This record gives sequence, structure tokens and C-alpha cells, in this order.
Amino acid sequence: MHISIREEVKQHNSAKFGIAILLLMLTIALFAPLLASYPPNMQTPFAFEPPSFSHWLGTNHVGQDILSQLLYGARTSLLVGFSAALLATILSATIGTSTALIGGLYDRITMRIVDAFIIIPVIVIIILVAAYVKPSLWVLILLLSLLGWQGGARIIRAQTLSLKEMGHISAAQSFGASNAYLTFHHILPDLGPILLVEFIYGIRRAIFMEAGLAFLGITDPTIISWGVMMREALDFCYLDVWQWWLLPPGIALSLTILSVTFIGHTLEGALDPRLESEAIA
Amino acid sequence: MFSIRNLALYLIAMFIILALNFLLPRMMPGDPLMAIYGEEALVQMTPALKAELVERFALDQPWWQQFAAYLSTLFTGDLGYSYYHNAPALEVILGRLPWTLLLVGTTLIISTFGGIILGIESGWRRSSLQDKSLLTGLMVLGGFPDFFLGILLLIGFGVTWAIFPLSGAITPYSGFTGAALVLDVLHHLFLPVTALILCHVGVSYLLTRNTMVTVLKEPYMLTARAKGLSNLVMRYRHAGRNALLPVITRTGIQLGRMITGVLFVEIVFAYPGLGYLTYEALLTRDYPVLQGVLLIVAVFVLIANFLVDLSYSKIDPRIRYAH
Repeated sequence: MHISIREEVKQHNSAKFGIAILLLMLTIALFAPLLASYPPNMQTPFAFEPPSFSHWLGTNHVGQDILSQLLYGARTSLLVGFSAALLATILSATIGTSTALIGGLYDRITMRIVDAFIIIPVIVIIILVAAYVKPSLWVLILLLSLLGWQGGARIIRAQTLSLKEMGHISAAQSFGASNAYLTFHHILPDLGPILLVEFIYGIRRAIFMEAGLAFLGITDPTIISWGVMMREALDFCYLDVWQWWLLPPGIALSLTILSVTFIGHTLEGALDPRLESEAIA
Repeated sequence: MFSIRNLALYLIAMFIILALNFLLPRMMPGDPLMAIYGEEALVQMTPALKAELVERFALDQPWWQQFAAYLSTLFTGDLGYSYYHNAPALEVILGRLPWTLLLVGTTLIISTFGGIILGIESGWRRSSLQDKSLLTGLMVLGGFPDFFLGILLLIGFGVTWAIFPLSGAITPYSGFTGAALVLDVLHHLFLPVTALILCHVGVSYLLTRNTMVTVLKEPYMLTARAKGLSNLVMRYRHAGRNALLPVITRTGIQLGRMITGVLFVEIVFAYPGLGYLTYEALLTRDYPVLQGVLLIVAVFVLIANFLVDLSYSKIDPRIRYAH
């Protein structure tokens, strides 16, 4: 389980591309207030303006500056992506390792529930909840992480079970190491790369879901989001405005998801030796 | 063999969905009847109707009796009444179901078979230029959000070149019959199905290709070559068949993901299936329809997973021994 992430990235151009795009998006998200020339929510009487020097991407149907919205959209997307993925990975790691180490009835019951959640389509639960409680950003993050940890927990449990059989773990156990000690000193460090892959795919899932739900119009309407921009622009797709209103958020979203996918695939390929030297060069 | 353990899993999943459907509207602040029926219903609410509904949902009873009342109405096929459509929710949903089935069925068949064939060919020619470009191309497509791909197709083929219709499933008031009707339906189906296939073909492709890579190293492939079998027989009968298994086991999970895609794509193309109905129900707060659609979709996905579970021990006998 010991792979050098730096070496892997060096060997794969797709991973380099992914990291470059993701860093770019992160920079935009962090410095959005400095980069944007207008407050993203400021409505003006100048609606449907084509791109000009004062509005690089024109204005939308209520006269908001599209470029500013695009920049702030990166904030929402990445904030939801990273937070939901972080929470989900922590949940996966906690539940995956504890079920494997404790076993017994606790393991059986938890894994049944995990399996049940894996076969339920996540979107159904989210829409159901969202229909009653219009989720704010943090409720959305919580919801996405609560519905996103189950697959990872399965993988981590399986991995912990095989780690448990290894010599150094039984050696530590015979010296009287507790489950907590084992988890933090031996198991979690060994699980590092797997957790990273889970985290990366968690980001992808959360970013995609946030955009999709915003596109459906079931998230808090005051949040600036690429999904909301696309839905609003779609209503006017028969006008020329799609070129600077609809395409930019779509491309930004696709690039972000793509960059995360490329990073994930490279790491996954490194974890599975059968697929090694397989991922795209 | 199929076990009680697996059956329990589906019952738990079903219970989680039913419990959410039951609890959410009843946990909302305010009048639970409004949360169950939506605002539209309140306009038409008379005291007599209200009393009848309270009685029907057992809203004056303890929660477990309410849950029992909820389950018993469900089992009689009663999903409630949509005041927005002025029809029973089940009727509204069944009217839209065929369009979604058409969309999902066509996509699932084409993307699964297409993915398998591309995967077999690509795995066979591993590391060649064709393999690499296919792998990159499908991965890039798979990374696209379904609705953005749909939007691109809509703008390209619908708005700019106007080759395909912008919305709907049939031309309204056209009075087409026979072959003309079929062509009209296919004409409307083309763009949404294309968007879905492009997004989903990558999954079965990648699975097949990756298994193909391992299967090709098996000793029996060497035997097959030594027997002098043709490349085609080796590729499809010997390697391909063994590469099928992961694709089939994932069909159920695929279907769950595809539901999400269908929902978005139907909205982009205003395709009158369950996805678009969900969207309409969300906008109009038509809760009986919303709950009904989500329940039916969840049940469909569970049944599909169940069937996959049942069938794959038949395809791979090794699984029977593994349990």
C-alpha cells in the first residue's frame, strides 16, 4: 500500500492537467472578491448586455454581472465539494475501520444498513428532503456527506480486514495495543492512499450533486451557483446569450469535475497494480 | 444461491424509503395536511373533506397507527390525490411512466451493449492508439455533467442547426399515426438518449476493458490460441464472456446513477417523463405526486438490483460457492 503520490503524478499527464485545473479553480474561489469587479448579486437595469469592457461576459436577465457570478460560483462548488467529501471520508474511515476491528453484531448490523443505502438511489432521498426543507449551504453539505460515505466504508472495511491479518498488526496486538492505538498508529497510515481516492471521488460526487440540485432549483436560491446560472440561462437559450451566459458555467463545472476525475483515476490506477501503466499517459 | 440475508437487505432499503416518505411531511412545522397534500389542496379544503382526510391518515392517532394507515393505503395502490392535476397521483404517474421507461430502456440497452463491445475491442488492442483515444474520449465524456451535455446537444442540434425538436416527446396536435408517429417519437427521443448514452457508456466500457486486460493473461486464452481458434471467437466467446460479469453486477448500481441522469436530461429537453414530472411537482409543491414518483422510482431501482442479484450467480457459478 505504499505508493509515492508525487511519482504517480509525475508519470501521468492527465493527473498534472487535473491538478493544474483544480489549483486554478481553488485560486479563483479563494480570491473571488478581489477578481470580481461587481458584487455577484447586484442587480442593475442593464439586462442582457453582450460582453463589453465593463462586463466581460455581459449581464443576465436581471442585470447581474455574469463574470462575477462565475467567479463566486467556483467558491460554492469547491466549498461544497471539499467539505462534503471531507466529512464523508471521515465517516467512511470511522465506520470502515471500527466495523472491521470490532466485528460481531455491531459489524453485521452496520454493514446491512450500509448495503441498504448503497442500493437506494441517492437523488431520491435528497429531492425528498429538499422538497420539504429548502437546504442552506451547510445543510446541503451535511446531507451530501451523510449519503456519500457508505461505498467508501465498505472498501475501507475490506482493506482493514486484510491489514488486520498482517504480521505487524498482530505483533502490536500481542504487545497489548488497543483498537484505538492500532487504528491511529497502524491502520489509518496504511489506508492513506485509499482514503485519498475516496476523498477525491467524494469531491467529484458532491460538486456534481450541488450543481445538479441547484439546476433543479431546490437549493437555497440566494447561493451563487453554476447550476443556478445554467438553469436561468437555459430559459433564454433561443437568444444569443447562451454563448456567454450558459457555456461559461457549464465549461467551468465540467473542467472542475474532469480535473478531479483525472486525479482520481491516476491514484486509483496506482492502487490497483493490475491496472498499472494502464491509465492514460 | 439467493439467501434470506439478501432479502433482508432489500426490506431494510424499502423501510428506509417508506420511513422517510412518512416522516418528512409529518415532521414539518404547521398543518401536516398541508405538508402531505400541498398548498393547492388547502384552497379546495372543506371541513368535511378535512375531517375525512384526518380520518384517512389517522392524524388524530398515535404515530404508529399513522404509519400503519400510511402503509395500508400504499398497499391498496393509493398514492393520494393531486389537486394540481386534479387526478389521483397514481394515474398522473402512470401516464408519464412509459416515456421514462422508453428513455431509460433505450439508453441502458445501447450504452451497455455498446460499452461491452467497445470495451472488448479496446482491451484486445490494449495500449494501441485506438485504445488510448477511446479511453481518454470516454473518460472525458463521463466526466461531463449529464445536463450540460444535454444542453450542448440542445443548443447545437436544436437551436443552431434546428435538426431536432427542442422539447417534448411528440409533436403536439400533429395527428400522426402508424409509421409517422413512430418516426416522430424517435425524432424527439434522439437528443435526450444521445446525451444519456454519451455520459453512461463509459462505465460499462471501463469495466469490460479492465476485466478484459486481466482475462487476456489467463492460461485458457493461451490454450484457445493453441487450439487455433480465430481471433473473433477468442475475443468474444472466451475473453468477452468472462469480462461480462462486472458489467452485469454493476447494472443495478448503474440504473441508480442513470435515474439521476434521466431526471436532469428530461428537464433540459422538457421530456414528459417522471423526471420532468418531479420537476413540475417540485415547482408546484404537488407533494402527493412528488412522493409517489420518488417511491416508484426507488422501488424500480430496488427491484432491478434484486433481479441482478438473482441472476449473476447463474452467470458465474463461482459466486455460488463463495457464499
